[in-house]
Amino acid sequence: MSRVVKKSPSVCTDLPLDNTDICNKLSLLKQLLISCFGPAGRLKQIHNNIGGRVISTSTSSVLLSALSSSQPFINLIRTSVLNHVSRFNDCGLFTAILCLTLLEQAKQSGLRRNVSIIVNKHLLGLCTSYLQGQNCGCKVKLDFCSSQYFITLAFSVISSKPACVLTEPEALHISKLAVQAFLLTVPCNNTGVARLGKTLTVCVEGHPVLDSAVFPGLLVDMPDIFFLNAENLHGRSLCTVLFSASLAGDLCELGDGNIELHGDADTDSQILDQLLELGKQVVQDGVNLFVCQKVIHPVLQQYLRGQSVTVIERLGISLMESLSQLAGRFLHLFLIPPKAYGKVKELTIKQFGSKTMLHIHPSGESAICTMILCHRNDTMLSELKVVCQKTEHVLRLTLREPCALMGGGCTETHLAAYIRNKSASLLGCSQTEYLLGAEGFCRSLESVAAALDHKCGNSLTDLTHAHYWTLPADVVEDHMENSLGVCGCGLVESCPSKKWTYLNTKYPEFSPAPVSKGTHLQVRVLDSFTSKLSGLQVAVETANLALDVQYIIQDTN
Amino acid sequence: MMRPVEHLHLEHVLQTVGALEAVVLRSFGPHGGQVLFTRDTGQAMLSRSGTRILTALRLEHPLARMVVECVWRHNAKTGDGSKTFILLLASLLRMIHTAASKDPHVSLTHNSKEAAKAATARLLADKLLAFALDELDDLISVGVVPYGCVLSWKDFTAKTQSPVQKLLSSFFYTRLGQSNCDFISNLLCEMLTHWKFQHDPPSGSLQFINDNFPALHTPVLGFPISCSRLIEGQVIHRDFATPLTEPDGGSVKVVVFTGHLQPKLLNAGEVLELGCEALGEQENRGNGTSILHYSTFAEISLEYVFSNLQSLGVSVLLSAVKQSAAVLSLATQAEICVVECVSEDELSLFTHVMVKPCSLVICGSGEGQTEQYAAAFQEAIRMVLTTWEPLNTRPTTASKMVIHSHKSTSLHTGDTKPTYGFPCQNSVLEPGCVVPAGGTFEFLLNHALLQHISVCDNHESFPAASQLLANALLSVPRQIYSHSPRYFLQAQAMVLGSVQNHVHPFVMLDSGLESVSCKYHLVLAVLQCVTRLFQIDTMLHTHTRLNTQSRRLANISWEDTEDEAEN
Repeated sequence: MSRVVKKSPSVCTDLPLDNTDICNKLSLLKQLLISCFGPAGRLKQIHNNIGGRVISTSTSSVLLSALSSSQPFINLIRTSVLNHVSRFNDCGLFTAILCLTLLEQAKQSGLRRNVSIIVNKHLLGLCTSYLQGQNCGCKVKLDFCSSQYFITLAFSVISSKPACVLTEPEALHISKLAVQAFLLTVPCNNTGVARLGKTLTVCVEGHPVLDSAVFPGLLVDMPDIFFLNAENLHGRSLCTVLFSASLAGDLCELGDGNIELHGDADTDSQILDQLLELGKQVVQDGVNLFVCQKVIHPVLQQYLRGQSVTVIERLGISLMESLSQLAGRFLHLFLIPPKAYGKVKELTIKQFGSKTMLHIHPSGESAICTMILCHRNDTMLSELKVVCQKTEHVLRLTLREPCALMGGGCTETHLAAYIRNKSASLLGCSQTEYLLGAEGFCRSLESVAAALDHKCGNSLTDLTHAHYWTLPADVVEDHMENSLGVCGCGLVESCPSKKWTYLNTKYPEFSPAPVSKGTHLQVRVLDSFTSKLSGLQVAVETANLALDVQYIIQDTN
Repeated sequence: MMRPVEHLHLEHVLQTVGALEAVVLRSFGPHGGQVLFTRDTGQAMLSRSGTRILTALRLEHPLARMVVECVWRHNAKTGDGSKTFILLLASLLRMIHTAASKDPHVSLTHNSKEAAKAATARLLADKLLAFALDELDDLISVGVVPYGCVLSWKDFTAKTQSPVQKLLSSFFYTRLGQSNCDFISNLLCEMLTHWKFQHDPPSGSLQFINDNFPALHTPVLGFPISCSRLIEGQVIHRDFATPLTEPDGGSVKVVVFTGHLQPKLLNAGEVLELGCEALGEQENRGNGTSILHYSTFAEISLEYVFSNLQSLGVSVLLSAVKQSAAVLSLATQAEICVVECVSEDELSLFTHVMVKPCSLVICGSGEGQTEQYAAAFQEAIRMVLTTWEPLNTRPTTASKMVIHSHKSTSLHTGDTKPTYGFPCQNSVLEPGCVVPAGGTFEFLLNHALLQHISVCDNHESFPAASQLLANALLSVPRQIYSHSPRYFLQAQAMVLGSVQNHVHPFVMLDSGLESVSCKYHLVLAVLQCVTRLFQIDTMLHTHTRLNTQSRRLANISWEDTEDEAEN
């Protein structure tokens, strides 16, 4: 380097939370995220300045990665949430909104930052131990004997992404498929360490959503279907060989040196001869399905097809891995003759619109399945694909912790009531300070629940179970119980004996009761337990971290 | 071409250090907070560590850079006290400045008042350093150590609220904030307990963890900090290159390769001649002309390797380099899992560790956080190492001063002698000595200095210097209690009261603990820095093509400080 650029000194910002510019940015971010929250959330269109594709979304992962800020303080919060989402695939908006509201509440309370941090930390501990405890009133145990809760959980995730543009029956159909695919990837034989299988997704554009389906085994694109040998399509098991090496006839690697050819030496024909030798051997061994991850030499292909072997080439690494799981793990180099072969149950042809696909059925249990997703257009389809992958992840999390939290804002209001009822004193702050901090914490939780409402209605909570209710704006208070219907999660019904209070008003402390088991109502919205719990922790920890930041140094080089 | 020379005035030095002090104070003491900084790459970083904050400023001023380097050196050694360093330095400079300004003996030999002032300051600084080198260890062993206590290595067993845990907890308080300091110090205690080697002195295992820390910890993003934990075994920070096969149960045999498995038939510069008549006649004709002869050879030799590995029962292959596709393919076939590009550190840890390893998983919501925690862990280990470091300074004079019978109690009941392996008869400061945090050391040393002056003001030449140091020391607790000066007086009264009544302040103050040894190093380092600052009288600005100094500083700021620590 001939030129050395002088480093310029860093830019410093003192007490970021007292900086008006930063506070404005934070509240703008909060408004923006709140407007996207929940099934009724509004979409955002994102397009960059160089004319890239326009994305319509309300998903936190897409939104937050697009909203990169020049202000490191904003980015601190943003990356925290993004890291959470990349880990759990769910509850990103919940985490972000809760974190931003906690910051706002801490500022409004006027408490010393240290005190806010201690109180938040303490209350987080209360919440997590309550949620993990046996007598948690807002938790549902998942029962693997019934798929009902799983479908509800999937439905809650899918319906919270309005950019998929699904009607209710469509969302339900996709939820059922997601659960079906999830169950197919859980291996049944319980010997040793169980490993989850894989769902491959194939997108078909221009078809109704209700045509989407899930199949066990693999579906492989087969544009040149006329090459298929009709013999192999009958329901009999097929001897299969899989190659990971290229069979295109290129030279193998010998090292860095040069190869000099003299006289009539022709490496190309030498290698092709070897390939045909391999073909002969394979045919002799009775192979019916010949698959290669990379390219197969056309002469070899021709030969094999002539011997009524079905040939699939250029399968790619990810499909190949799944196929090797499905057909037995046999990947070969090509110079050493194969010693063992795999098996598939049968091959069939499936037609989806313009797509013709070869369905490879597993011979035994394989935990590999393929999901065909159909939607009207490309944008909705790509969003639907992402949502299905997220749903799969959320469902998988239930294997580790088989419970779910009541959704629709009910968990948040329930937790707030629980905390209010648990009066405590804390080392390092006075009773007044503690109460002030706890009030801010509870309000933050409640305002996340209230953020679900986008129709300017009133947010309420009942005084027995502390679930979340919304009251349309035009309803008079006298007819409240008639127009309330059920609570956010659908487990509590309105009745004349119930008492409600508006959120953000003072109400008498009470211990929120769990919903009795005898209720005839079905829970309608469930949230992932693991990701919501972690989201809650990340939100509070990030807020505490942000509160602790006193000084910002920006390297401008 | 040379720019005009700049004579350094005392005021300049004071201003520069004052500016540094102002920045460092943001994260000093119980009410300090985090500093968030972004690298030129846009990556965010969080810190409460003085060294990191100072280097992140990318200072231009040569004096400031010199101070930062001193701080950095001190931190690389002890892992602690960089914020106090700046505070004490600023306070000392201010006092020297005041003393030099009102010095009546403006000598005629100096051209100006400024030069006279500078000379006085230099003289004072030299005297201070000489005094400290001569007397400080004795003063500490008489005036501070008796009021502290000696931690024993036995305390490392992860009992809750053991004194070692308390020492670590107060360290992490200054590095990570209050909310997680107990949790993190418990984790480190557990880790130290686990790695305690049977027969080695504990400093050996500490040094081991310090050296291997990159391989012994795994940052995990997207989880709350409370998910951090210790896990048994070693984590290889690479993914499998071949599909994972399920182990049959029982032990897993692992083989480590540092080179390529596939033989290289042709090296660069070598030529393989195919179809050559002469060659063909000499060798077997059919094989000599075919390229396949050579490639089959490569594959068959690989096959041998894998059949051997299989017969040995190997099921995992760790490789330092990237292996060829043929190797991966054969490994898959042989149901051996391959991990490629494993770092040298991890491989050497894997091959050399004989005890059952355990590693640390550090969870955090962002990269800035996990990095901060990892850095704090390492600095804590260095701090503990310094705490137990035997100080073999001038054993002869020490013996005359130290009152051996004075109550230097270990926290272990009925166990007044430390239980570690190395000899400590020669050392002045007992290794492992701690005092309560929150300014106790400064109050005690201040008291000891003042006593010292009153005893030997007749024949000693240092009274001015020790008075100055005594006053400067108080600036540290003053800053700790800056939110309420009343607490400062209370704390001082409490410490002095316990000195008079021979009561352990340890029992009275419900605060954390601080290492006396780290503090001793700190005071010496600050005084050395002061002397260095006053040795400079002029700055020459030159134009050079390569600014090596700034490069070095840039390196310091972001890279692991380990490798340069030896310099």
